[in-house]
Amino acid sequence: MAATFFHQPAAGLYGLGIDVPSFGSSRIFGKLLSTRLFFNSSHHKLHLVLASISHDSSIESTLILIRHGESMWNEKNLFTGCCDVPLTSRGVEEAIVAGKRISYIPVDLIFTSGLIRAKMTAMLAMTQHHENKVPIIVHDESEQATLWSGVYSEKTTKQSIPVITTWQLNERMYGDLQGLNKKETAEKYGKEQVHEWRRSYDISPPNGESLEMCSRRAVAYFKDFIEPQLKSGKHVMVAAHANSLRSIIMYLDRLTSQEVTSLELSTGIPLLYIYKEGKFSSRGSPVGPTEAGVYAYTQNLAIYRQQLDEMSH
Amino acid sequence: MAAEVCHHAIGALQSHSYLSNLNQHQNLRSNSLRLVTKDFSCSNGLSMGRSSHFGQRNCIVTRSSATHSQTSVVDPVLSPSRSNTSDTTKKSNEAALILIRHGESLWNEKNLFTGCVDVPLSSKGIDEAIEAGKRISSIPVDLIFTSALIRAQMTAMLAMTQHRRKKVPIVMHNESEQAKAWSQVFSEDTKKQSIPVIAAWQLNERMYGELQGLNKQETADRYGKEQVHEWRRSYDIPPPNGESLEMCAERAVAYFRDQIEPQLLTGKNVMIAAHGNSLRSIIMYLDKLTSQEVISLELSTGIPMLYIFKEGRFIRRGSPIGPTEAGVYAYTKRLALYKQKLDEMF
Repeated sequence: MAATFFHQPAAGLYGLGIDVPSFGSSRIFGKLLSTRLFFNSSHHKLHLVLASISHDSSIESTLILIRHGESMWNEKNLFTGCCDVPLTSRGVEEAIVAGKRISYIPVDLIFTSGLIRAKMTAMLAMTQHHENKVPIIVHDESEQATLWSGVYSEKTTKQSIPVITTWQLNERMYGDLQGLNKKETAEKYGKEQVHEWRRSYDISPPNGESLEMCSRRAVAYFKDFIEPQLKSGKHVMVAAHANSLRSIIMYLDRLTSQEVTSLELSTGIPLLYIYKEGKFSSRGSPVGPTEAGVYAYTQNLAIYRQQLDEMSH
Repeated sequence: MAAEVCHHAIGALQSHSYLSNLNQHQNLRSNSLRLVTKDFSCSNGLSMGRSSHFGQRNCIVTRSSATHSQTSVVDPVLSPSRSNTSDTTKKSNEAALILIRHGESLWNEKNLFTGCVDVPLSSKGIDEAIEAGKRISSIPVDLIFTSALIRAQMTAMLAMTQHRRKKVPIVMHNESEQAKAWSQVFSEDTKKQSIPVIAAWQLNERMYGELQGLNKQETADRYGKEQVHEWRRSYDIPPPNGESLEMCAERAVAYFRDQIEPQLLTGKNVMIAAHGNSLRSIIMYLDKLTSQEVISLELSTGIPMLYIFKEGRFIRRGSPIGPTEAGVYAYTKRLALYKQKLDEMF
């Protein structure tokens, strides 16, 4: 079931300001925009071209990917999958450190999985953000939930960052291995079999998902719900898990299934992508040693950071 | 599936029965304490005219066993020398009940009315949760209930990072068949080391209607100072399209009695992480306060409150504003033993 998060504002009730254009309509909108610019005859033709280029080039949005840190089952070396276990103290620290790294990068919208370790990671990270906007989790699981979570101040809404939680960003479901430790599992199924499940692309553990199956639902969600937001210029953060994020990176970086199975994502080190003109450029490697290595700022990001610095003085 | 049906039935009975009980409650204070009898259907002593109480009990047992391997887990640290754990109507069993109010949220910091808007903790709120966790690190926890709001859930999870027993809280998912199937655990050992966490909207903060998101200035401007004071401090006057404290109490206490108290009765040690108003409501029930008394009850954040549930009665072991640790936790003998065992284990 796809998450619906568009608030229909009732009388006097301000929605959280999220517009979800369908994938098709946002393309059309983009075309109309450039067409209108082209026919603006008061400009010199060259200036026109430059104007349309600079207009397009200002529609640049950032995408931050954060993999959650150590969970209580990581600590105990148990296969977790979709079991909803929380972070350890260390995982809490990692989330806060991750937050410091992205404290100068704009965030308009947050997507997390349905699991507490990813939600906490996002909320902990955002306590460090310099812009001081407040993340608010969107509730649409029932009529009552939607109604009860209404915000009645436009000013407050403008200072809010909607947070959308969705199972499609959950960790790969590990089926009958969930809750088992590596030793138990090797004893039960044999070492090679376990290795195959963990490292292959399309072989799933009993009653579980293969990486391929996980990718299918994670990338579909990304394309249907997250990419349109980026297209409309919104800056997005995604807090999720190793396998759901790898799947998304496979799509962003056009990796092969071979490449994705060997892709390791650090915990606590956010990944930055710039979305521009329909393309994703990676601005930080998964294992970035220094901040300069992780974040190659664009001009817009540098200006944003400068503005934040000025605001706090 | 059956558990969900029962849960809905319970929900339908809730709001109706609590109000009538509340009235009886206030009139019959001297008779309101009753010892629990072997006949479980009279367990909370106050419910009259409630149908199929035993049926509810079955539903609750079904629900908890769906999420936990069996109804009574023998905790090696906690188990008494007599282990008649199959007897579900334990008479002189003692269970701990911990209430934790979450700390500072990002809207508290900005002085905005929050209610049921789902805002997270601030850095200060995070520290408060961890501190609270340290205070309860030696008190047994078998089951955790939180509201549906992230600030309470985070408070519980952060607090439990400090717990010495090292059991792992696991959030239960019942929102769909897939959610339930996907969150299954396949190791008995692991289940024994787990603490189920149940999130319930009935434990949410009082819903503040059209004041949600407004700051105090805006609100006074819009509605006038006295009106705002009345909404905030009265028992039964709700803000526009919101809940009064009475309405909040109705659904919170009903949930407590239907879902939480039966667990305490089976000897499970329970922690509840929730909000100012939902917790006050529960305390009103535990301590048998009047509506006058509950309005002026202030709960500290970050300082957990301990109750001992024994023989159908709730005994408060820590005041809401406890200055010292000794003042907050008057341990029972059983709790002192538990703490000692933890000391020996680590």
